[in-house]
Amino acid sequence: MSTRKSERIMNLAICLLMARRFIEKSQIRQVVEGYHDLSDAAFERTFERDKDELRAMGVPVETGSNNPLFPDEVGYRIRRKDFELPAIEFTSAETAALGLAASVWESATQAEQAVTALAKLRAAGVDPDPGRLAGLAPSIGAREPAFASIWSATIDRATIRFSYRGQPRRVQPWAMTYRRGNWYLLGHDVDKQAPRMFKVSRVDAAADRVGRVGGYRVPDLDLEAAWASLEPRRPDTEAVLAIRAGRAPDLRRRGRPVDAKQDVPAGYEPFAVSYARAADMVGEICAHGADVLVLAPQHLRKSVITELTATAGRAS
Amino acid sequence: MTSADQVNRLLALVPYLQSHPDAELGSTAAVFGVPPEQLLDDLNVLWYCGLPGGMPGDLIEIDMETVAESGRIRLTNAEYLSRPMRFTPDEAMSLVVALRAMRELAGGHQGEGIDTALAKLEQASGADAPRPQVSVAGGSEEIRSRLTDAIADGELVDLDYLGAGLDPSTPRVAPLRLITREGFGYLQAWSLERSAWRTYRLDRIDAVRRTGEPAGEVGEPPEFGPGWLEQRPDAAEVTLRLKPTAAWITEYHPIRAVRRQASAIEVDLLVADPAWLRSLLLRLGREVLAVRPPEAAAGAAESAAEALAAYGAG
Repeated sequence: MSTRKSERIMNLAICLLMARRFIEKSQIRQVVEGYHDLSDAAFERTFERDKDELRAMGVPVETGSNNPLFPDEVGYRIRRKDFELPAIEFTSAETAALGLAASVWESATQAEQAVTALAKLRAAGVDPDPGRLAGLAPSIGAREPAFASIWSATIDRATIRFSYRGQPRRVQPWAMTYRRGNWYLLGHDVDKQAPRMFKVSRVDAAADRVGRVGGYRVPDLDLEAAWASLEPRRPDTEAVLAIRAGRAPDLRRRGRPVDAKQDVPAGYEPFAVSYARAADMVGEICAHGADVLVLAPQHLRKSVITELTATAGRAS
Repeated sequence: MTSADQVNRLLALVPYLQSHPDAELGSTAAVFGVPPEQLLDDLNVLWYCGLPGGMPGDLIEIDMETVAESGRIRLTNAEYLSRPMRFTPDEAMSLVVALRAMRELAGGHQGEGIDTALAKLEQASGADAPRPQVSVAGGSEEIRSRLTDAIADGELVDLDYLGAGLDPSTPRVAPLRLITREGFGYLQAWSLERSAWRTYRLDRIDAVRRTGEPAGEVGEPPEFGPGWLEQRPDAAEVTLRLKPTAAWITEYHPIRAVRRQASAIEVDLLVADPAWLRSLLLRLGREVLAVRPPEAAAGAAESAAEALAAYGAG
């Protein structure tokens, strides 16, 4: 970081913000400290880079001409209403929530971003109040090696290339989601010409950028529907289970008590419980050992007995 | 740190110092998440910034002597920068994700403040900003509400809890706070029965009953970091040899090491609770090829034999 460079960019930002009209490059060179002493070529290079840096940090530097007859006389300005954080009023419940936000991220990079955002709110007179939400300590991780590269490409709308479990992929990132401890990327797979979902932990290393910033448009998406594919399927089949008194509250809660046609062993109560995938249901029932028995359907009962027989055979 | 980071901070620092006259150096540095030395550097940059033209009266004024003597910052002559810049997309997204993670853990009345704060932030950060979603397995909002109320009131509660070993229990605990780890919400609490800190997965708490009894001073639990399971002194290492189709367990359970082979995978687990291992082995069934040490499989084998007897197939 160069102090001189920060001064120059800061002065450029103030100059463009104070401008009532578009200011031409030659004028900027005269009035902004740090440009006078440069050669023509060095000024061109430096100015272009400074302007790009301002835009990259989100400062809306506008290009245009004051003179409709000479539209080639290009100048620059920053409109105040596009630049300034809009006035926001927060209630005390809201400032309590904001106060806690700085401590949520486990990743230092994202934590810094949240801290800077909160500093901006404080600069605008909001007072985020940590400690009011006592008893809540949420945290969110981002330990995947590819996380930072995918996160920033999603923000910048830049096409990336990465290795996904050994397979090369080219993707235009659309959106990210965090589900039960894992980050997912939804994007357009350039080679397959179709939307695809990627688990970020399965991306082998940091993604490489292969496209420019703002290189594509994100379509209007029903994100809720897209993420729904990550949720378990809706249950559509029903089993009748015998559950030992006081046991397996998780299955009881999902089911309802029934009158069983089959014989119910003493000490057990019959419940109807619905499920989506038989293989998952078998595992879930087996996990309860003798506390949960299958009464129907017959194929589920047989599968459970097969698995239990294998486990019983491992007695040492 | 790049010049872009510094300029982004300066554009917030100038309005901050104007709305907080005589701000203290250390606490201002804390607000911006930088060391005090960095903030001094920032002030030295601002000292050379101002309106175009560079005449003495055009520059931002900072009384650097007062900063050096009393650590108080007075910044003037910058009325044209009285409001901070908009959020960068990265800042907006980081803040929104943090609030959404909080929302997943909050109970009813806390949740409302978070929802409306989120709505205002999203409006302020523009329509085309990416909107990452966050979902944590945090059980029901009603349970969380009861817990945060009891925490706020410092009251003991009775839980209906289904532990990882699938044994229902009704522990009486002094609730401390709700936390998230690896995408699951937990209650961190002092168990009266065990006289020890315990964590209870929120989606396994069936009911919370207030007792009306004060929780008293419970202090702070040990760090519940990423390697928290390792801290249990009674944890023993068990190695499972599994069919490749059982690879999903590496994503759902704390695993110490995984060795992938052509026809099998081997995983090393730290087992603090034998009941947990028993239910895991029962669930995996035929996908288990071998267990080391072999006696670690005894509990599951006994349980399976008991179940088979109940089926009349033993």
